[in-house]
Amino acid sequence: MPFVEDPACLSKSRLKSDLVAHNVELPPAGSKKEAYVALHLRHVDQTNAADFSSDDDQEHNVAGGDPEGAKELDPSALTDKDLKALLFKYGVQAGPILASTRAVYEKKLRKLLQSAGEGESNEADNAVLYSDSDEEDVSEKDEEKELEGEQEKKSEALELNQQQCNEKNVPAQKGDFFYPQCFFLSSRLRPCPPRNNERSSKRNSKNALKSSERTRPHRSQTPAGISKVSSIAQHSGLRSGVPSGSQSVVSSSCSSFSSQDFSITQMVEKMESRSAPSACSYSKPEHWSRSSRDPVKDILKDLLPDTKTSPTGIYATPRRPIKGAAQRPIQYAYPDTPVTPTTLERQEVARRLAPVYVQVLVFFAVMCILFLIFVNVENTNNVVSLLERQNQRPDGEEGIPALDETQDAACGEL
Amino acid sequence: MSTTSQKHRNFVSEPMADKPVTALAGIGDRLGHSLMEQGYDKAYVVLGQFLLLRKDTELFCYWLKDVTAANSMQADDCAQCLKEWCDAFL
Repeated sequence: MPFVEDPACLSKSRLKSDLVAHNVELPPAGSKKEAYVALHLRHVDQTNAADFSSDDDQEHNVAGGDPEGAKELDPSALTDKDLKALLFKYGVQAGPILASTRAVYEKKLRKLLQSAGEGESNEADNAVLYSDSDEEDVSEKDEEKELEGEQEKKSEALELNQQQCNEKNVPAQKGDFFYPQCFFLSSRLRPCPPRNNERSSKRNSKNALKSSERTRPHRSQTPAGISKVSSIAQHSGLRSGVPSGSQSVVSSSCSSFSSQDFSITQMVEKMESRSAPSACSYSKPEHWSRSSRDPVKDILKDLLPDTKTSPTGIYATPRRPIKGAAQRPIQYAYPDTPVTPTTLERQEVARRLAPVYVQVLVFFAVMCILFLIFVNVENTNNVVSLLERQNQRPDGEEGIPALDETQDAACGEL
Repeated sequence: MSTTSQKHRNFVSEPMADKPVTALAGIGDRLGHSLMEQGYDKAYVVLGQFLLLRKDTELFCYWLKDVTAANSMQADDCAQCLKEWCDAFL
């Protein structure tokens, strides 16, 4: 097991952590690695040599007496109890340390030691930040890159899922998107500001990047705040600290997000224009679409008086107006009577057939004729009166004997 | 909706009983074989290991990667699967 490593091979942060562990005074900040290596060689290696000489005989005592030193070398040198105690010190409640679990806990301890060492070294680095201008710029750029990365992800998420992302990202990043979400929604309700028309042609996430780049002067005004936040974040070893830094940036430069709304509303319009004609063709025949637009237009103009009229007559609205709500009576986009396809068919069939009233008239006419015939057959008196009326016609005399014959025949039958 | 595999959903939906170790999410034929060689032939044995590590998914991932040639994704899937099973049935 390699306990002793050439100090020159170790990183500066590792050297620092070793020196701190051995209670050796660190060289002045900003000194080169060689100074650390020299100190390390002098102090740490001496103690290691002392440890090794008595390792075989007094392993237990050494491990028990100098856990601070031993931990730097190898967690596998520790006893189960010591390992568990150390892990507890770092806030890890360890289970039973058995053959199968020991390796796991040793690995965990190593990682904890490494992160602790890095945390200490970062503290020193951040102390250097304020004094050394070069490092400050580098760290600033890194932080800005990280923030840009965060913003890229945000912008991509926003563009991909316009309405849904606002709901998703709030629980995902714990209020990280809270501020942009507010501005995003409010900007969608407002008409597009005229200054964004020049960018309206581009609809890429790159454009969002460019807009975020343009807001860089805003962000550069708070470099101290960002570096402070990031230093705290790194010290605590949490990655989520960076978004909290970005949150402060976002709140200060809210205009970056309002400038993104042009692309999003454009996309919404495009989507709605794509969906609108398909919806029209699917649900209603063409000759009704013309009349549908007029009442729809009115609704939109009631809600959004500032909307510009588009040539196609298709408008993008933030949300469907609730029909039947207050001050928004139900205005059918369709004609007065909603017609189903079956009723259409019935009407077409009805057009070809004789209308009902004609049928009724014909029915009554036929009934009258039958009634007359029946009366003629039944009652002679009536027939005579009828005949008299009929005799006024020129065919009267010829009809009489015929009628008489029929009368006799009818009487004979009865 | 979380991105869980069908295998995960199948495992978490019922008590594991005597299911083989390959029924765990993330454990395929290769990993299952290597686990069986080491004595972890049933899913409940791996569950035992998970419980020994106090149901810590990170530690379980370390263990699985140590014991088998699992990669991060497989180990994460398995740990998540066991954790959810424990939440549901333990």
